Amino acid sequence: MTEAAASAPAGAPAESPNVLEARDVRRSFGGINAVQGATMSVRRGSITALIGPNGAGKTTFFNLITGFYKLDSGSVYFDGQAIGGLPSYKIARLGMVRTFQITKALSRMPVIDNMLLAAPDQPGESLFGAVFRPLATREREREITEQAHELLASFNLDKKANDYAGTLSGGQRKLLELARALMAQPRFLLLDEPMAGINPTLGARLLEHMQRLRREEGVTFLFVEHDMDVVMSHSDHVVVMAEGRVISEGTPDEVRADRKVVDAYLGGELDDVSEGGE
Amino acid sequence: MDTLVLGISTSGFNLSFWVGVGVIAGIYAIVALGLQLNVGFTGMDNFGMAGFMAVGAYTMAILTVDHDISFWLSLPLSMLVTMGFGLLVGLPSLRLRSDYFAIATIASAELIRLVAQNAQGLTGGNQGIFCSDDFSRCYDDAWVKVSDTINGWFVDLGMSDPPSALPLLVVAWIIAILLTVALVRIQSTPWGRVLRAVREDEDAARALGKNTVGYKLQSLVIASAIAALAGWLLALNLATIHPTDYEPIVTFFGYSVLVLGGLANYWGVPLGAIFFWVLVEGTRTLEIFESESQQVALRLFVAGAVLILVMVFRPQGAFGKREEMMLGD
Ligand SMILES: Nc1ncnc2c1ncn2[C@@H]1O[C@H](COP(=O)(O)OP(=O)(O)OP(=O)(O)O)[C@@H](O)[C@H]1O
Ligand SMILES: [Mg+2]
Repeated sequence: MTEAAASAPAGAPAESPNVLEARDVRRSFGGINAVQGATMSVRRGSITALIGPNGAGKTTFFNLITGFYKLDSGSVYFDGQAIGGLPSYKIARLGMVRTFQITKALSRMPVIDNMLLAAPDQPGESLFGAVFRPLATREREREITEQAHELLASFNLDKKANDYAGTLSGGQRKLLELARALMAQPRFLLLDEPMAGINPTLGARLLEHMQRLRREEGVTFLFVEHDMDVVMSHSDHVVVMAEGRVISEGTPDEVRADRKVVDAYLGGELDDVSEGGE
Repeated sequence: MDTLVLGISTSGFNLSFWVGVGVIAGIYAIVALGLQLNVGFTGMDNFGMAGFMAVGAYTMAILTVDHDISFWLSLPLSMLVTMGFGLLVGLPSLRLRSDYFAIATIASAELIRLVAQNAQGLTGGNQGIFCSDDFSRCYDDAWVKVSDTINGWFVDLGMSDPPSALPLLVVAWIIAILLTVALVRIQSTPWGRVLRAVREDEDAARALGKNTVGYKLQSLVIASAIAALAGWLLALNLATIHPTDYEPIVTFFGYSVLVLGGLANYWGVPLGAIFFWVLVEGTRTLEIFESESQQVALRLFVAGAVLILVMVFRPQGAFGKREEMMLGD
């Protein structure tokens, strides 16, 4: 890290060890303050978990930092570059790619086309390239088709390559969405509850995949997850949100020992119990 | 249109009647090809085709008649103007939800037609455009020469009295087929794949780095260029340009062709166009009722009934994939 910082251009905030910095991010919908001043950072090369009770604002926070929602106020930096206000597709092209809590399979397209779509640098995606650069287009298509089949195989989806994505099961869609995001060759991957609805064996495979990508390709992960066992055993940093704010962060052990976190989770549960007529 | 009227009185096979039907079918094949690009492959419910056709036709006529620009030069120029209108309509409306986009496009088409109706000096208002005041120039002069030449070839080939609309039939269908081939090919490129992704889920496409608004604009601008083609052909067929030729029903007929041919398939479109117009015009030969107005009502009734039956029993149309129809979200 320090070596990288030394060789970075002077004055550029890229010297920071953080791939993401969000400062005092706010957004409200009508009267609901979905995110009310969230400040957090994600260290480069880490697997960071974002946790919090239902409705804490985790998905909204994802939408805000990836450009899907407009910020009411606050600032967001990706690798030192201010990205607050950039359109979502530009943020994705910078290498910051997200998946959705509710899967968005491109139903009436084959699984393989879902994958190919995500690959960057296809000259045939512009009208000009499609018409005037057929050779370069075909060459790139060959490369990415091979990559896509490899990735599909590692998620047990290779037999489905030519089926419509709309025929996949809920869990398979989740896997496809992850595989598709990986096709985009992100440097920073944001996953909104990637494990939800996936069987434990494939879930474990997915976690291994994350570890391997981090190790071999230096991809950074930020993932929302409700399963505390997964969070505690697979993340090296945990950020806790409640009621639109970041209330705690640290290593899994630190966070587990934090009184505020216990309150945020248990507080909700105790309320539920008392409302239940104890 | 005269040829069509003649068709009623003559029983049995009437060549010039069916040539006229073929011209209309060719024009609507082109309209529906543009719709297929927008509706079937980009998921944009463009209801403004008639308006873009009007822009193409009027611009062509105004340039040739009022400004003495050559017919052949007026074609690319008027196509560019129509594409500009596509951009103008698309820029503010493409970010709207798809149902609002549909409303915005039909409204803009009506706006164009109403301006054409009222801007007397520019468009001739309800009189329409055909020739300059001194009749020294008409917009179809150049076409009439070409048309005579082509019919000369038919005479050379041994045809005694080729129908006057035969050359237009040939040209309209050459354009329709070439356009189908071009669209099929461009659809199979990665560019076409992005369009389909936009149709399926714009958020997903955006999350993968695609500028979805940009692709939708391209789709709409190409469709307006295609509408210009159809607008010219309609103007040459009717030999006059009149606001009532560009009413919303033109777009709706285009949608009927689309449904019959099947969504998300270009080859179904020409077939759907032939089927639809043979149905609508062919029923003229059924002389069930005495009065003309009853005949017209019957024809539209039959066309509507067939459309409903197709939607119920074969929602995918002639060439669409049933499996795709059944996969919703
Ligand atoms: N588009 C929206 N319009 C109105 N309210 C919204 C919108 N998006 C989110 N909210 C509200 O913001 C709050 C936070 O929602 P969010 O989806 O971010 O929670 P979350 O932490 O992801 O919850 P979960 O764990 O259940 O997915 C909720 O009260 C929600 O109702
Ligand atoms: Mg959520």
